[in-house]
Amino acid sequence: MEVLKEKVEEEEEAEREEAAVRAERGEKVVRPMEVRREEAPMTQEMLRDLEKKLSDIEMAIPEKLSTFTKDTIDISKLPLSYQSNTLKEEHLLQVADSFSRQYSHLCPDRVPLFLHPLNECEVPKLVSTTIRPTLMPYPELYNWDSCAQFVSDFLTMVPLLDPLKPVVQEEEKVPPKKYAIKPPRDLTSRFQQEQETKKLEEIKAEEERRLREEEERLLDVEKAKTDPLHGLRVHSWVLVLSGKREVPESFFIDPFTARSYSTQDDHFLGIESLWNHKNYWVNMQDCWNCCKDLVFDLGDPVRWEYLLLGTEKSHLSLTEEEEDGLNDDDDVENLGKEDEDKSFDMPPSWVEQIEISPEAFETRCPNGKKVIQYKRAKLEKWAPYLNSNGLVCRLTTYEDLECTKTLEIKEWFQNREDMLELKHIDKSTGLNVDYFKPGHPQALRVHSYKSMQPETDRIMEFYDRARVDGLVKREETSKTMTEYYRGRSDFLSYRHVSFGDRVKKLSLNSAESNPRPIVKITERFARNPEQPADEDVAERVFLISEERIQLRYHCRDDHITASKREFLRRSEVDNKGNKIVMTPDMCISFEVEPMEHTKKLLYQYEAMMRLKNEEKLSRHQAWESELEVLEILKLREEEEEEHRLTISIYDTKRNEKSKEYREAMERVMHEEHLRQVEAQLDYLAPFLAQLPPSEKMTRWQAMRVKDECLSDFKQRLIDKANLIQARFEKETQELQKKQQWYQENQVTLTVEDEDLYLSYCSQAMFRIRILEQRLNRHKELAPLKYLALEEKLYKDPRLVEFMKVFV
Amino acid sequence: MNWLYDSVEPRVMDEDMLKLAVGEQGPRDEAGQLARQEGILFKDVLSLRLDFQNILRIDSLWQFENLRKLQLDNNIIEKIEGLERLVHLVWLDLSFNNIEAIEGLDTLVNLEDLSLFNNRISKIDSLDALVKLQVLSLGNNEISHVTNIIYLRRFKDLRTLSLSGNPIAEEEDYKMFICAYLPDLVYLDFRRIDDHMKELAEIKHQYGIDELKQRENLTQAQLDDERAQREELEEHKAAFVERLNGSFLFDSMYAEDVEGNKLAHLPGVSELLQAYKDKFVIICLNIFEYGLKQQEKRKVELDTFNECVQEAIQENREQGKRRIAKFEETHLLSLNAIRDESEVTNLEMKVAEHSKDITELFDMLMTLEMQLVEQLEETINTFERNIMDLVALFIENVQSLMAQCRDLENHHHEKLLEISINTLEKILKGELDEDLPYDVRALFVDKDTIVNAVGTSHDLHLLKIDNREDELVTRTNSWCSHLVDAIHKDEIMRNRRRVKEIHQYVDHVQNELDNLECSEIID
Repeated sequence: MEVLKEKVEEEEEAEREEAAVRAERGEKVVRPMEVRREEAPMTQEMLRDLEKKLSDIEMAIPEKLSTFTKDTIDISKLPLSYQSNTLKEEHLLQVADSFSRQYSHLCPDRVPLFLHPLNECEVPKLVSTTIRPTLMPYPELYNWDSCAQFVSDFLTMVPLLDPLKPVVQEEEKVPPKKYAIKPPRDLTSRFQQEQETKKLEEIKAEEERRLREEEERLLDVEKAKTDPLHGLRVHSWVLVLSGKREVPESFFIDPFTARSYSTQDDHFLGIESLWNHKNYWVNMQDCWNCCKDLVFDLGDPVRWEYLLLGTEKSHLSLTEEEEDGLNDDDDVENLGKEDEDKSFDMPPSWVEQIEISPEAFETRCPNGKKVIQYKRAKLEKWAPYLNSNGLVCRLTTYEDLECTKTLEIKEWFQNREDMLELKHIDKSTGLNVDYFKPGHPQALRVHSYKSMQPETDRIMEFYDRARVDGLVKREETSKTMTEYYRGRSDFLSYRHVSFGDRVKKLSLNSAESNPRPIVKITERFARNPEQPADEDVAERVFLISEERIQLRYHCRDDHITASKREFLRRSEVDNKGNKIVMTPDMCISFEVEPMEHTKKLLYQYEAMMRLKNEEKLSRHQAWESELEVLEILKLREEEEEEHRLTISIYDTKRNEKSKEYREAMERVMHEEHLRQVEAQLDYLAPFLAQLPPSEKMTRWQAMRVKDECLSDFKQRLIDKANLIQARFEKETQELQKKQQWYQENQVTLTVEDEDLYLSYCSQAMFRIRILEQRLNRHKELAPLKYLALEEKLYKDPRLVEFMKVFV
Repeated sequence: MNWLYDSVEPRVMDEDMLKLAVGEQGPRDEAGQLARQEGILFKDVLSLRLDFQNILRIDSLWQFENLRKLQLDNNIIEKIEGLERLVHLVWLDLSFNNIEAIEGLDTLVNLEDLSLFNNRISKIDSLDALVKLQVLSLGNNEISHVTNIIYLRRFKDLRTLSLSGNPIAEEEDYKMFICAYLPDLVYLDFRRIDDHMKELAEIKHQYGIDELKQRENLTQAQLDDERAQREELEEHKAAFVERLNGSFLFDSMYAEDVEGNKLAHLPGVSELLQAYKDKFVIICLNIFEYGLKQQEKRKVELDTFNECVQEAIQENREQGKRRIAKFEETHLLSLNAIRDESEVTNLEMKVAEHSKDITELFDMLMTLEMQLVEQLEETINTFERNIMDLVALFIENVQSLMAQCRDLENHHHEKLLEISINTLEKILKGELDEDLPYDVRALFVDKDTIVNAVGTSHDLHLLKIDNREDELVTRTNSWCSHLVDAIHKDEIMRNRRRVKEIHQYVDHVQNELDNLECSEIID
């Protein structure tokens, strides 16, 4: 009959963050926390519905103890429900046992059912009771895709000892996807498309052929390694049935990869049994064609043999009436309503509720790290803030199957202060590309380089809107620098600078600031609509070494040629030594439409003067760009070294500053509180208490109280002074004794003793000095304190009326 | 004020004076040297200062076409004149003169800064053309009435005003008043107006301002309406069917028709007239709508044509540009190679080769151009045919509609004649009950008179209709022929310009080569 086949042989270990780490040995724990979004008003109906949905959450528990995980669980800390079975559970187990017996009797060919494995306390538990529907407070867990992703991250896979152990399937009803967007309207020309598809098809055919050959070659290589256990391995995964929450059709979720598969998928070779928190079904259908022909109508007893009759009664009866059992929508609809009255119910789950702390949720993977090995690639994931450099993900691709030769590395970062987002290292070319999010201090967007040395090949791209100069991109080679601009008010769009060889300088001290000589600067400008094209320069070239300036103007709208002008500024002095200001041959120009005023020497002279100034400016700009590159490189190196991470102000745990501030505030509050308590001390209370409890105090009594209070305070001050004095004397005496002893035994002392003595002396001296200081201060303050108390007493509301008369 | 007036001889603004001033104020140092060598043309001068020259009359400035800034302060000018040609003027200083009225500034539309400080002006006006005015200095004048300030409200860009030293500034409310009525002003009498002051002023003069604003808005709305109407009429005119969207034509038929109006008093005629009018107006409306539709069609046709032509030209231009760009690359390289070449035979060979390249480029560009000319000619001809057809169709249809009008008129005429004759008979028989006005009754003397009267009316109506039709047809045809002519002319101009450009460029390139050769040979 149907033999359960599984392609993936895997085992996982779910970990809990809390003390009771409930890992599983040997077998498997699948713990998908499926919780879904509910629509607005919660009716009674919906509550029930929700309850039901929550119940879809399941958890499978290992059936066998395997020694290697045993020691990781402290059984004694687990709640009682883990260590024993309730009456109902016992009853259920008996039911399950008899079911199992009948099953093995009827289907002797089939693998024994995975019905009641032992849990971590070696107590047999029915698989269904290991599932406890739980609502988690994280919105990411409300939809199956993100939830599955979390589960796959959160669990670590441990291979089964024996990949042929019985298999478990879980059933689950989840369904989101209601916000799948409609595809955008197709506005492309059909004819073009046809043409294109034709072309593409040709290319594709070619490609396919190539690919096929390639594949065949590869297959040949890998065929040797075909799995000998193919079809025998066991695996459990999640089935989401259609119907609820707008799930159009049933599908599988693989808990390891979080990927969803159609039930028709070739990877799933068959299903042995299926369970959720309410019931357990055994597949009675033939799996000769993988899972493709399976009908997931659990109410059909011919196709799915149930364990408990009571639970899904309505379901059953309905399908019986309808024979073909295709109508699962209704079944599922009715599921919720008639759950209440059933004869034998699945007992509530013995499992404790899953609790995922926000930290654990954020950490995602066990210990915040997860490594996934793919064919020729390795994916590593880390939780945010786990790595001090903000690394959260790294993808390494390899050239060979053994993963020894690295092809390229991609590293993703998060929360970096320098906004670094992705680092791409191509090992074959040695090219590094860093991608930044908006917000880098230098508005860097992409930085691709082979080495961090200045004046080497590199391309920097910038967020041009964040920059004052509108720089978009700067490309450098060892001899040139090209900059592209956008949106500048002077319409500059391109600047290319060629450098010559560095002139060797003789003076060594200024070696650092020896800029390369600039040979040529080419600048291009966009059209300035406010100027006529004949006067709007499109390109200007400063040939610095040749002392020439070439201008090319923009082309007029209806012309095909553009004006040009070339200035030579070589001979500034004629043969008699007079300065030649301007001669006609210093400016060669071609004008599309010759104009009178441009022929004039004065005009040309002024233009040349202007250009000279601009040349200076451009050279300065080039120099500044070079400096900026150096600065950026320096900054990058510093950032790489420091790799500081940003912390949201709402992140109370990580944000040191706010923590400090909060603690400081708390301290201040505490001190304030203490001070208030002190202020409330009643210095008169002990003396007033001595008075007879008559209702009114006489003046005499008041005076006495005051005097007593003062004299008491005086006494205390004196006592304190005496105490300090006594201690001071004692210290002094001891020191003297010690000194005496030292002098007597000086000769015989070892070096250690001497050291001890010396340190004792310095300490004693320190104590004496402090005591002396305290004494002095006390002497100074005592009269003041006394006076202050007297003053206070004069103003005390209880005594004030008696004092007044006196004054 | 005019202390110079009697004591000093006024000077005449002549060529020498201007030359001197230009020379003095021209470029300095090396540039000045060049300027002296070449001489400066007046039209290149941008700024001119002519202060303390005792000028009585502004003159001889017409050559300074491009002048931006002109200072004529501290002279004894009495009248603003001779500035009409200086349309680019931005800054004009006429302070400390003897000007009595603002005038002669109507062409200076670019003026932003005008100073008339210390003159004898008593009224601010004639500044309407100065829409860009920002700074106006009118201190130390004889302005006395507040209406002058309201006049300044029309200058939306006015930010600085000085009026101190005028009688108006003596009034206690002066500042408040100005702040209130010129809310955009920033500086008054060389001081910044503070916001508090503005608020106070606004509160104080709120009623006045509101009233003024209301009036201004009304006028503005009226102007807008008129403009909208004018625009609409223009649009209809462009469709050649203006004033056909109502009873205008019908009314005009009866406007000069004395007899027709008299006959309207006859019994039954007014009903007849009303029915006639209704029908007539409907036909007019038909013509009107049809005209608009046709206009739309013509416009679409023309737009499509223009678009296509532009596209073709653009495409051709791109091709030309690419050619030239390609050529320029090789050109530079070849020139350098020739320059570096020392051996004569090689040199000659290279020169010859390059000359060939140039010729080739020329041929190529000319071929492109000829190709375009041919293509465009064909397109233009097609367009011409189409637009002519459209117009002919339009005219034909309008004519047929107009014929309907004529039929109506004829019909009406017959009816009218019948009624008239009937009436005449009745009158002659003395059977007419109703009283007719005396002048109407005068028509019914005998049959000839009445028939003539009705006939005159009828002729007049037909004439009107014919006139309207003729007007429409003539205008439509002339529009069409103008359009076609213009398109042909434009194309010819374009062609000439391009050919000239190509020649020029090739000549330039050839020159460059020749120059190289010359220097090479001299060496």
